[in-house]
Amino acid sequence: MTNAPLVAFAGISKTYGNGTLALDDVSFSIAGGVIHAICGENGAGKSTLMKILFGLEQPSSGAVLLDGKAVAITSPRVAAGQGIGMVHQHFSLVPSLSVTENIVLGQEPRRGAFIDRAAARQRVVDLAQRYNLLVDPDAVVRTLSVAAQQKVEILKALSRDVRVLILDEPTAVLTPPETDELFERLRDLRAAGLTILFISHKLREVRALASHVTVLRAGRLVGDAPLDAIEDDAIARLVMGQAERPKLKRGGRVSGAATVTLADVSLAARDAADRLHDLDLAIHAGEILGVAGVDGSGQRGLVSVLTGRIQPSAGAIAYDGHSIAGLGTAALRQRGLAHLPADRFHDGGSKRMSLVENAIAGAHRLAAFSSGPFLKRRAMEARTVQMIERYNVRAPGPKAPLAALSGGNAQKLIAAREFATEPRFLIADQPTRGIDVAAAAFLHERLSELAEKGCAVLLITADLDELLALSDRIVVLYAGRIVARMENGPDLTPERLGPSMLGLESAA
Amino acid sequence: MIRSALASFVITAVLLVVVVGIVLVPIAMQMPDPLAVLDMFVLGPFRNPRHTGNIIEMATPGMMCGLAVAIMLRAGMFNLGVEGAFFLGGLATVATVLLVPLPGWAMAPVGLAVGAVVGSSVCAVPGLLRARYDASELVSSLMLNFAALFIGLFIVNYFLRDPTAGAMVSYKIPNDARLPRLVAGTRIHLGTIIAVAGCLLGTVYLFMTRAGFESRIVGLNPAFAAHLGLPIRWILLRSQLIGGLIAAGAGGIEMLGLYQRFSWQGLPGNGWTGVVVAILARDNPILLIPAALFLSYLQVGGDLISRNFDVPSEAVGLIQALVLLVVTSSAIMRNPRLLRFITGRKAAANKTSGPKVAEGSAA
Repeated sequence: MTNAPLVAFAGISKTYGNGTLALDDVSFSIAGGVIHAICGENGAGKSTLMKILFGLEQPSSGAVLLDGKAVAITSPRVAAGQGIGMVHQHFSLVPSLSVTENIVLGQEPRRGAFIDRAAARQRVVDLAQRYNLLVDPDAVVRTLSVAAQQKVEILKALSRDVRVLILDEPTAVLTPPETDELFERLRDLRAAGLTILFISHKLREVRALASHVTVLRAGRLVGDAPLDAIEDDAIARLVMGQAERPKLKRGGRVSGAATVTLADVSLAARDAADRLHDLDLAIHAGEILGVAGVDGSGQRGLVSVLTGRIQPSAGAIAYDGHSIAGLGTAALRQRGLAHLPADRFHDGGSKRMSLVENAIAGAHRLAAFSSGPFLKRRAMEARTVQMIERYNVRAPGPKAPLAALSGGNAQKLIAAREFATEPRFLIADQPTRGIDVAAAAFLHERLSELAEKGCAVLLITADLDELLALSDRIVVLYAGRIVARMENGPDLTPERLGPSMLGLESAA
Repeated sequence: MIRSALASFVITAVLLVVVVGIVLVPIAMQMPDPLAVLDMFVLGPFRNPRHTGNIIEMATPGMMCGLAVAIMLRAGMFNLGVEGAFFLGGLATVATVLLVPLPGWAMAPVGLAVGAVVGSSVCAVPGLLRARYDASELVSSLMLNFAALFIGLFIVNYFLRDPTAGAMVSYKIPNDARLPRLVAGTRIHLGTIIAVAGCLLGTVYLFMTRAGFESRIVGLNPAFAAHLGLPIRWILLRSQLIGGLIAAGAGGIEMLGLYQRFSWQGLPGNGWTGVVVAILARDNPILLIPAALFLSYLQVGGDLISRNFDVPSEAVGLIQALVLLVVTSSAIMRNPRLLRFITGRKAAANKTSGPKVAEGSAA
């Protein structure tokens, strides 16, 4: 290692406008010609770091060194000039254009004033053959599978003579065979001399592909080692960190009869992250069942089938022993379903409607709020004012639009609406994501209270502290399967959940 | 909420005045007496009760078609069948009073009811196709307007045509069926009161009834509606049925209020005006009234200068085109779905949000 490393981060910090410290004095280097993995939880700072390398973000302090020289990467164009290419998690292709058009976009070969289509096509064919990434150059991107679109993205990056290729969670959207094929191609690329930065939180994939791993947690560098010098368990511990003891610990409570049961439920979704495979699960009255798993392990699919939005492709779901096959959301809500959706402004409410309308929607056909075809606006408003007080929602007034509320207050209002129906089965999907500590603690108490009243609560969360503090039992989802089931107790720690969440062991 | 809608209404109206000025001033400058042209355009409509009456007559179908569009837009539906519904509603009303033997007092109510039901099909069919097959209501309603036109012309020619009239027009509408005139010296008729009452009722429907509330939830956030388990397809269809009934009823009222015979040879354009009115009023039923009056005022002023000065009628058309441009561009900018439709990125957008909603409502 006499030469300077290809890429080096020197003391990179990044503070966002809202005061969030995304990266805190991160320094490490990447050798040329290797596959280098960067691991960490959601929000650990992986994406921010890659955006800095690709010129999409500027560091607040510190420098990026290429070949030992500090380079100000002020835009993706500068990054491209330095031979840095990036394949985003969400593709940046034009769906209505062909593969060739997408790849040459911005650097079209010309003949006079016109685009030389034959030359463009030939360039794409050559490129695809050289790297063994075979796609039909004339296909319209919209018609391609996700895996094929990813190939196009990679080809697009390669067509710009990259030395360093950044792949942001490339396998999140792929099926296992597609993942295997991608890995083959990435190994070919490395053999051809490229340096690949592979961002992932699936340790099995990191192990299969990379030779060096860097671990970030909460914006800090916590580990940096060659993969043959570090055990998987050690990586998992670094990723998860030593969490503080949860404050409110439940666990091991005796619960009642099964309220909701899933038997061999599978879902064949278009998006691999939504697929489910043979889920067997019972949620009992009076318990909080926690679902752990990294984002995209099937949580969305599970919520969709439980709320009647999508019918499972196989298996049976029952509420109180009665099959719910064919029933839609409305019928299930009548049977006692309530749901705190993960995306509170997308599914949980309407930003442009008033608090009153958001708080009463769904219950508006009850006799309390309507007579004949008319709404009882005064009763609606009175109830909303009650909810605002009881749930301590800080709001300008009941007629303010939902958009005027902070995330935490909006979530409290939505919770007030969902809990007001005295549900028998509640799905709390990321109930406290992105909201302040006080609001989160308040919602935790409400969830606990509901369970004590005999409601069956399914808690889906990426926040392990929350999971361990609230759950009686925990199941771990990985790639659409339940890979572990455990009773919650004082000896259960994030470190013990880590390996199964990352797909390293399956204890189910 | 009405205040913010009012603010944007005023902004658009001011913008329109500027636009009209940009077109009108250069034209006026070429006349021997430019000030007289401007004066005629701006104040002319108020100098003569007959012309002021014209504003109100013209605003009447504008309000009702605007109401039809607003109710559908609130549910998120761009159903342009209002134009065909207005045409077919007018025709079916006239056909009923001409062909069905009815006592005099029953002619107008029965005629209007039949007209409304028959005419509403032009909005209902695209609504059904949307609810059943997810076909774009915008495209199918636009196409269906022309089917309605030619079916209508066929019926006029073969069943209603008065051979003595010397043109392709119907027999005379019986006097008993005509709507009473309200103000002497003008042609303002009962329909104006119906239209104003309709706009008030529209406010009640949208903001004070369960059905209106549901349609606004679907229009503002379909994902939220799916979360609540609302019957989205039925709500979409219902709002288009209501819109169709109003637009078709407006066509019947127009016929019985102003016409001697059914004499439309093409689509009369009131439905399109209704779209502009609704967009100008930001889908707010109360604001439909001033919006329709304002557009009619521009129209009457334009007609006056083209009649009284050597201003080509194309200049008036130019003013109208610019009005349309200002109003629709502001609507497009405000409405992400319409913007996507026009830029042709509909398919890509549907992939992320569409199927989820569709599945929710199918179940």
